[in-house]
Amino acid sequence: MKAKFSPKLLLVSTAFIGLGLASCKKFLDQTPITELSTETVFNDVPGAYNALIATYSRLVGDNGYGIRLSMYYTVDNDEMQGPTGNVGTSDNDRRDIARYQATAGNAQLVGPYSQLFQGIEYANQCIDNIPSMAVYTSGTDQQKAQLRRMYGEALTLRAQFYFEAIRNWGDLPARFTSSKNDITQNSNPTRVNRDTLYNRIIADLLIAEDLVPWRNELTTIGDAPNERITKGTVKGIRARIALARGGYSLRQNGQMERSADYLAFYQIARDETNDIILSGQHSLNASYRDLWKNQVGARVSTDPNGELMFQASGIGLSGAEDTKLGYYNGPTVNGFGNRALNILPTYFYQFDPLDLRRDVTIAPYNVNADGITKIGQAITAMNDGKYRRDWITPAIAATSQAQYFSLKWQILRYSDVLLMFAEAENEINNGPTAAAYEAVNRVRRRGFGKPINTPDVTVDLTPGLGKLPFFDALVKERSLELGGEGVRKFDLIRWNLLATKITATKTALDLMSKAQAPYNNLPARMYYRNGATADDATIWANSFYTTSPASAPAGSTSVNWVVLPTGSTPVNAIGTTALARYALGFTPGRSELLPIPQAARDANPALTQNPGYN
Amino acid sequence: MKAKFLLSVLFSLFAIAAWSQTRNITGRVLADSSREALQGITVSLKGSRTTVQTDAKGNFAMTVPDKGAVLVFTSVGYNRQEVSVGSRSSVEVTMTTVSTTLTDVVVVGYRTVQRRDLSASVASVSARDLKDIPVNSAAEALNGRLAGVTATTAEGSPDAQVRIRVRGGMSITGDNSPLYIIDGVPVDNALSTISPQDIQTIDVLKDAAATAIYGSRGANGVIIITTKSGRPGKPVITLNAFYGWKKLAKELDVMTPYDYVFYQSERSRGSSTDSNTFVTNFGPFDKIDQYRTVNPVNWQNEVFGNTGHQTTENLTVSGGSNKFTYNFGYTFNKDKAVVINSDYVRNLVNVKGEYKFTSFIKLGVSARYAIQDVRGAGVSSESGSAYNRLRNAVKYRPFLSGNADIEDQDPLADPNVGNNLTLTNPILLANAEYRKKSTENKNGTATLTINITKKLTFRSVFGYDRNQVIDRQFSDSLSNLSIIQGSRKPVAGLDTTQRSIFTNSNVLIYNLKGIKKKHDLDFMIGEETLDTRIETHRNLFRNYANGTGASEAFHNTDKGESFAGYPRFQEVRSTMLSFFGHAGYAYRDKYLVNVNFRADGSSKFAPDRRWGYFPSASVAWRINKEKFLKEARFINDLKLRFGFGKMGNNRIDDYQYQTIYSNNGQYYYGINGNPVYATYPVYLANEGLQWESTVNRNVGLDFTFGKNRYNLSVDYYYNTSDNLLLVRTLDPSFGYSGQQQNIGETSNEGVEIQLGAQLVRNRAFTWNANFNISFNKNTVRALAPGQNQFFPAASWGVSGQPTDYLVRVGEPVGSMYGLVTDGFYTTNDFNYDPATRIYTLKPGVVNSGGVTGISQPGSVKFKDLNGDGKIDLDNDRKIIGNPNPKFTGGLNQQFTYKNWDASIFVNFSVGNDVYNANKIEFTNGYANNANMLAMMADRWKVVLPNGQTAQWVETRTIGGTAQQVVVGVTPDELSRLNANATIWQPLKGTGAFYPHSWAIEDGSFLRLNNLTIGYSVPLQTKVIKRLRFYFTGNNLAIITNYTGYDPEVSVRNNGLTPGLDYSAYPKSRSYLFGLNATF
Repeated sequence: MKAKFSPKLLLVSTAFIGLGLASCKKFLDQTPITELSTETVFNDVPGAYNALIATYSRLVGDNGYGIRLSMYYTVDNDEMQGPTGNVGTSDNDRRDIARYQATAGNAQLVGPYSQLFQGIEYANQCIDNIPSMAVYTSGTDQQKAQLRRMYGEALTLRAQFYFEAIRNWGDLPARFTSSKNDITQNSNPTRVNRDTLYNRIIADLLIAEDLVPWRNELTTIGDAPNERITKGTVKGIRARIALARGGYSLRQNGQMERSADYLAFYQIARDETNDIILSGQHSLNASYRDLWKNQVGARVSTDPNGELMFQASGIGLSGAEDTKLGYYNGPTVNGFGNRALNILPTYFYQFDPLDLRRDVTIAPYNVNADGITKIGQAITAMNDGKYRRDWITPAIAATSQAQYFSLKWQILRYSDVLLMFAEAENEINNGPTAAAYEAVNRVRRRGFGKPINTPDVTVDLTPGLGKLPFFDALVKERSLELGGEGVRKFDLIRWNLLATKITATKTALDLMSKAQAPYNNLPARMYYRNGATADDATIWANSFYTTSPASAPAGSTSVNWVVLPTGSTPVNAIGTTALARYALGFTPGRSELLPIPQAARDANPALTQNPGYN
Repeated sequence: MKAKFLLSVLFSLFAIAAWSQTRNITGRVLADSSREALQGITVSLKGSRTTVQTDAKGNFAMTVPDKGAVLVFTSVGYNRQEVSVGSRSSVEVTMTTVSTTLTDVVVVGYRTVQRRDLSASVASVSARDLKDIPVNSAAEALNGRLAGVTATTAEGSPDAQVRIRVRGGMSITGDNSPLYIIDGVPVDNALSTISPQDIQTIDVLKDAAATAIYGSRGANGVIIITTKSGRPGKPVITLNAFYGWKKLAKELDVMTPYDYVFYQSERSRGSSTDSNTFVTNFGPFDKIDQYRTVNPVNWQNEVFGNTGHQTTENLTVSGGSNKFTYNFGYTFNKDKAVVINSDYVRNLVNVKGEYKFTSFIKLGVSARYAIQDVRGAGVSSESGSAYNRLRNAVKYRPFLSGNADIEDQDPLADPNVGNNLTLTNPILLANAEYRKKSTENKNGTATLTINITKKLTFRSVFGYDRNQVIDRQFSDSLSNLSIIQGSRKPVAGLDTTQRSIFTNSNVLIYNLKGIKKKHDLDFMIGEETLDTRIETHRNLFRNYANGTGASEAFHNTDKGESFAGYPRFQEVRSTMLSFFGHAGYAYRDKYLVNVNFRADGSSKFAPDRRWGYFPSASVAWRINKEKFLKEARFINDLKLRFGFGKMGNNRIDDYQYQTIYSNNGQYYYGINGNPVYATYPVYLANEGLQWESTVNRNVGLDFTFGKNRYNLSVDYYYNTSDNLLLVRTLDPSFGYSGQQQNIGETSNEGVEIQLGAQLVRNRAFTWNANFNISFNKNTVRALAPGQNQFFPAASWGVSGQPTDYLVRVGEPVGSMYGLVTDGFYTTNDFNYDPATRIYTLKPGVVNSGGVTGISQPGSVKFKDLNGDGKIDLDNDRKIIGNPNPKFTGGLNQQFTYKNWDASIFVNFSVGNDVYNANKIEFTNGYANNANMLAMMADRWKVVLPNGQTAQWVETRTIGGTAQQVVVGVTPDELSRLNANATIWQPLKGTGAFYPHSWAIEDGSFLRLNNLTIGYSVPLQTKVIKRLRFYFTGNNLAIITNYTGYDPEVSVRNNGLTPGLDYSAYPKSRSYLFGLNATF
């Protein structure tokens, strides 16, 4: 055969090879177009700020403090109970959680569990990257200060997410660097003892304290006061976590235990709260009602006193980043709202009749279609009142079926700092100090509408209490001051009082359901004034504390209160409605923790389950 | 390295280029029956690329080598003929109409091959198969016709997703759709952008021997579509048109007004408030008989009962000269569906032409333009039960209250029902939700073919495909979207997606046939680039004034306000570069060997993991050419095939190996009352990502016998995939729900049989039959290390709904998972205390109360799988259904009698389960004043004929604690009342939505899919060459035990939760009248 030279062939083949190989390498290197690389994000202050905002955003939404962490996981306690319905059966959902009947497959566990760790991962991204940014060390003073603050905020947020996760689930995998580094090491991590995790975040917060300025120093670094964390928040959260670390918790062995060195953590709490008190940066709002109605209800971002020290700031009117506060809980307006959290009748009667906090914490009414007039509610249908739709400014139209109102969940208030201080002082010094007394009394005086800094024998705690009586007083005071703020259940756990208080509450409810002492002189019916527009006890025509009038007051409507049982109905609605579902499945040694979500254990077989859930 | 390889191949090609002497011949081609001249017959010179076509008089002229010239005559619809020219200067050939598909040309991997020479498993549908099926989607036409190819229509809507799977899916969560190639160019989702009338053939490549040349993209099979081309000659004008009607194929029977009211009374018992409300709503119980005569409203009929209309006009003009051929097609489809407010309009233009510049340079261009509007919200949604609409047509009150109008909202429909499961007047709802999805598709292809020498061909193909989807969604205040997210004010969504794909492939093909009359060789090398860009814009607006119309809302988005987190914009680009080669060798046409190799580089992987190498080989042995079978005259062809190959898959999201952050508005936080948008890591990057690989093994036998009248293909395959590109569900403590990883293994094993027969063939009557059946078994072999199973959820039902599907090692993907139904409790299961009238469950009887609410006579019972005496979700669920059929197939029969023709097509599926979730929701009493399926009229009742409550639940204090107890009349009386009860009491709590085995039904069916009768008018005018009228019925009948609308259903667009029937758009039955005319 003879080879025939073909120019056509040469041309084509040259073009062909050229096409294929010339840009081979470059052609296959595709980089994101609308997305950003790590280097781009952590290049300047605004870039880092937006990454930090991602971390903050994990506080809110349905799976954060929007509804689940704040309202599903904090009941039943000795103040409130979860939603009605489905008694005697499982809903595999929020009712099971409230009644301590949740199993690992409960549908409302994995979302919050995941979102907390998402927050930890987003914080880790900031913690890994911000301190190594060039600007962090070589920027202007303001840039450096702002970045230091962000680094501290990220450490604080990580601590908060971890704290929330630990107090609900106990021991957990350790995640202190970006998951990208971790997953290559071990994709099936085991759970780490909570004390180790707590020690780490308590240490982290100590670092954060020096990075984050006080609220009154923000202007010096060019930041505006807003919902972001300040030094007071860091210290307050550190104190709260230290108390949890020093308190009891349910261990893998099924026992409620605390470590022998717990006093060291009370010391941390005492020092941190003391720093905050001495700093003068935070104080109590003179009016408990104004605080909730005019600040929380008006959704303001700052308050002159700095009492609202840490808030989860929902926005956007959807389940992604807003909160259902005022829709899921609180009074309904025009029938809209879930009124899913009910005040326990026994909690109502914990308040002194003169305690102004009662009518803020408890709202025994719903609002009519006119948006103004009130319908009194029976004793078994009282709503919690700190997050009320009818308090929101500007007002939400009564016809609106919106479910999200951008109310901010209050994570930490200054009064909690005062009470933590008193508790730590009492514990460390084996009895209350004068400073401890003063701290509690400030809270009490404000609660009764008295001048905060003026001693007042009518409301101040009895002087000269021993360690235990003072502690008992604190146990009660924290409930009166912080009711409905998601604190109680975890307080009772760290004191190892949850089982005790739940049993006591069941007994009390049983007595009340039979109208027996000490509940034998309460009104059988309460009468609310038709057309009443007030938002406190004045809507009622008779007293909560004496038997009902013989006949209905003019222009009023009755609702059932502590109805005297008859032979055919040996208990009243307190027994058949409230007690029938209250903490039904509570089992000491199990119920102090939630089960590790089944989905997490399916994904990672190395995760063990919490005691009592297998 | 690669360059060197290519160069050396090229040099070797130079060395073997040959030369020869030539002469000219002429010829004529006639049809054997009519002796008519045949136009457009392809005449090619065997062993060369020389091809001409006959003109209008059937004549052709050609240059042939001096000696040994063999002409090959081919055309669609005629048997291939080979004629030795010998010393003749003119030849006359008569063509016989085709009886088997043996000689069809099949497009395989950048080349064409005759079916008889295939060493791979390929199934084909040609225009003559399609002509009987007047459908608007080519995907529909594939259903049941090809062994190993399943086309599952998600539901009955005109634009329903058709899931095409070749031999099951290999990936677990990945995209298992095959690669579509139209005229040599890869096109995404091709079957919806092309009119079936413009299709010449569809070849489905099933095993690696054929698909491996497509490398990574061919792992799930390759569907090659060749569109019709023009033939030299006068313009031929073809008109295909049909017009049809359609009706809902089946309705679900619901309870009568009387039964409905009776149940509402029953449901209200046990609560004084509810009982009083019942009297207010429906009157006292003793007047309930009035509802026996009230006029029922059939809401299904109101909503789905419309007579749908569909019309299709397809006009093609084709023709050309020896230099230039063209084909122009225009198709118009309009489909007014049976559901109110929904319709579908499509315009398709298809232009294809080929121009011969010189004897050796040929340019083919084709362009397609398609624009399609789909209107109507349909009835299903992936966003949870509240957003699904079918429920309203079934559960809504079955008669009108008082003097209400049919378009008035029922005042009794509970607006505060849990999980937003409000019932809305289905007509109002259909009017409240406006949807319009407009798809515009532009596609252009240029193919340059240069016959460098007679044996060496260069072909370059450029393709550009641009697809734009504009999705407009408007939800008025009545709709659930507005209620849940929009505070009962209108919500409008406006999304735009643009996808453009640019491809270029260049191949060199070298054919060397008949060396020493024994050896046939062919080689191909090639290169291909692919460049895909996708842009998405998403907008969502809220807070329009009530009364704002859809059009106003879209045009004046400033009258609403943007949802937080919107607008969102994303743009991504991915590229792929490939090199491939093929070598084929045949010895005496008896032993055939094919070897393919492909290297793919993908931008989706890190530079060091980027390249995947995919080799394949196949061998065929034509047994009938062996001496020992020489005497077996009845065997026309007998071929045994073996194929083995490796393929890859890279169908994952872009950039997964790089850490990237987005600020698209998904996350934000409130600072001073305003959302500040967050920059967040989009996923957990995995630098180690690499190609998923599938190893494919195939043994096949092709057997043609009985004078080419019968052909049989049998294939056995065993495919295994590993390094699956799977989004691994992560321990949530990593902060991400999952990570793209290479983990897990699956296998598909199966047998396919395809049998074609020309049962009768004589002048007046012909009868052809084509039967296929496929068996496939899918198995998950491995998941992530340490992982044995995971639970995907179909996402319907209520909050707290347990997951209802399972992926477990050793089981097929998509097993249904749930409780096992065990009938219902009777009075025999309870102890009765006549004093207190309390029913207590007997010791030892399983207590289902944990999921159903307190167990009582007539409540549903489940099997206690772990034997602990009580039912709970964590311990008493198991696999309750397998959505994969044991086998599927179809039988198509075509008849002609004189001028009449007919075809009848049935398809079947056996052994697959369907998860009838509708049935669960439509038999429960979750919402107040909701209707149920008619079967619930035979439920366990708790109201005596005189209106007295026979059984109820109340709270009593026993031993100091308040508890719920079941109280009732004596067991005798209760049993008497329910002597004929066939089903439990409706559940009212959240357990009412839990999946249990009762809802898993056998989805086996035999469907009379298509019946056509046609008549060709015997005329021989100058103007009209052919005129045929036909009548077709689609989906005429179905034999199935399935109780839902239709067993061919799968509403979720993912592979993990197949076979779910929840709120699917019901299928309709259609009757069409049409004509085919050729001018």
